Amino acid sequence: MDTLVNVAHGFGVALLPINLLYCFIGVFIGTLVGVLPGIGPISAMSLLLPVTLSGTPESGIIMMAGIYYGSMYGGSTTSILVNIPGEAASVVTCIDGHQMAKQGRAGPALGISAFGSFIAGTFALVALMLVAPKLASIAIAFGPAEYFSLMVLGLVVLTFLTQGSMPKALLMACIGVVLGLIGLDSITAQPRLTFGRMELIDGIGLVPVVMGLFGVAEVLLNTEQAIKRDIINAKITHLLPTKADWQASTGPVARGTLLGFLLGILPGGGAVVASFASYALEKRLSKTPERFGHGAIEGVAGPESANNAAAGGAFIPLMTLGIPPNVVMALLLGAFVIHGLQPGPLLITQNPGLFWGIVASMYIGNVMLLILNLPMIGMWVQLLKLPYNILFPLIILFTILGVYCSSNNVFDVYVMIAFGIIGYFMRKLGYEPAPLVLAFVLGPMLENNLRKSLILSQGDLWTFVQRPISAACLSLALVLLIAPLLPALRKKRELVALDEGA
Amino acid sequence: MRDQTNVKLRLSNSELWGGLIGLALGGFVIWSGLKLKLGTINDPGSGYVLFYTGILMCVFAGSIIISAITEGGPTLASRWENVRWSKPLLVIACLAAFSFALEPLGFLLSSIPLLLLLLRLIDPVRWTLAIPIAVLVPSGMWWVLKRLLLIQLPSGLFGIG
Repeated sequence: MDTLVNVAHGFGVALLPINLLYCFIGVFIGTLVGVLPGIGPISAMSLLLPVTLSGTPESGIIMMAGIYYGSMYGGSTTSILVNIPGEAASVVTCIDGHQMAKQGRAGPALGISAFGSFIAGTFALVALMLVAPKLASIAIAFGPAEYFSLMVLGLVVLTFLTQGSMPKALLMACIGVVLGLIGLDSITAQPRLTFGRMELIDGIGLVPVVMGLFGVAEVLLNTEQAIKRDIINAKITHLLPTKADWQASTGPVARGTLLGFLLGILPGGGAVVASFASYALEKRLSKTPERFGHGAIEGVAGPESANNAAAGGAFIPLMTLGIPPNVVMALLLGAFVIHGLQPGPLLITQNPGLFWGIVASMYIGNVMLLILNLPMIGMWVQLLKLPYNILFPLIILFTILGVYCSSNNVFDVYVMIAFGIIGYFMRKLGYEPAPLVLAFVLGPMLENNLRKSLILSQGDLWTFVQRPISAACLSLALVLLIAPLLPALRKKRELVALDEGA
Repeated sequence: MRDQTNVKLRLSNSELWGGLIGLALGGFVIWSGLKLKLGTINDPGSGYVLFYTGILMCVFAGSIIISAITEGGPTLASRWENVRWSKPLLVIACLAAFSFALEPLGFLLSSIPLLLLLLRLIDPVRWTLAIPIAVLVPSGMWWVLKRLLLIQLPSGLFGIG
């Protein structure tokens, strides 16, 4: 009953005209960046992070969330029609989606992808509504040791799932922690690594770091190659899947939804892992696995449902524990912090309007996305023809303006350009920026909780293993750290490794 | 036949360089942590986490170096093989020039040439389209930010913008 009252309260917030507008802008931009290859939700959210300053916290966060789950919808369009994943979570959709399009079944592929996404997104929201308040009430009992261990686990899982060698990902995470610690020490107020620059006293901003590493670096990488597109030019008809399509897709949608949601909750996981796992599961369960790769609708329905369910599930650790499970959620945490809010166990009780408003807006956003992605599919297809030689310079200009507007400080523009260049060389040498960014956000919290637990336990390191949740997190982290040393597990890791930056 | 793009103990091994840079950074972080005071385990100081993070960085960088020496790694040149490496370099040069020009020239006078250069250098857009975009987009953005949103953009020595 309480939940229904809360949902009604949430809809009261989400249905305010200004919030509806921000929700629409969010899902529209999300679909746009999902459709355009080369620009992912991370770049778009980092670009628009400063924009959230102009409105209320609800509006800003509703928009940012809309970009995330909107990009999950949009990404499939490019995968199916162009065979280029619009964003990383749609890589798997290319395999069977584009084959279906080549066989003249682009309509059902797009249709099942949109319906599957809608069903999964809605399920994830209902689960979020039911799980989040319960988890938040448990999380109140968490002490600094539990928080520290959970953050360590989140970082280790992300480094485990990042493409390339694990030492490289761990090195990136360490660099992220160090960058996050620049500025005044929160306990002793001593300046650290500021090199005498006043601009660094408050630390490096999240916006210039992320815009540099994901926005500018992405453009630099994309300029290396002329992007070739093999667009399906035939008119897209019959978007509604047939009865046979539905029969084939019901199981994959249900399984993808459940699997995606569970993987989304796990720290370090997320939409990309979920879509790969769902594809593998469907292929394994299928009586005719040989059809996979040749236009099997199950290969589209499962992963597309999984990535949307994961996008919803990822909100749970952020909203209930205040710990972002992936880089996208780290950006959302940035949006909360910009507005002076701290997500965590107390958010739901102290800011019910905000929490339930965001959840309700996601329902509305899902309906908006269904309309945007089915009847208006033609518009997105046209957009795929946008020339990149005009788009990339404009992105650079917008990143400069975005960074400047977020702080009114030219220094941040220099920081962004520097991180853009560093990010480009990092990617060329095989160092992924995702662990760096997550560690950058978690670094100060990690340090704070470590020092607090050591002070509270009077220097007793056993405090981390005597507490069951903390011990479980650290044990799992240890297993993941050791895993790549074992050849069988190393192979498994390579199979699920993801590219968060795409 | 030996793969020329995968080398072990050679200065062109890109993995080796990545590891060495990581090691140098780790060393610097350890030194910074020590300088900031470690404190005790009962009461960790400002440099405590930095110091131990620095040690971890050295360990991971060391592991990268060892694997570069034992297993080899791609050469620096191979990382830029078959790509238009000059394009990102040109964009980087433009961005570096822009960062020097932004404060003295102001937003408008620095962003118009930046956009024009980027439009012409990445995949040349014809002049008749590049010039209007390069002039109108920054001017439009400047007008929206300065007049509508009242955000002060850098106006430079000439006070333009």
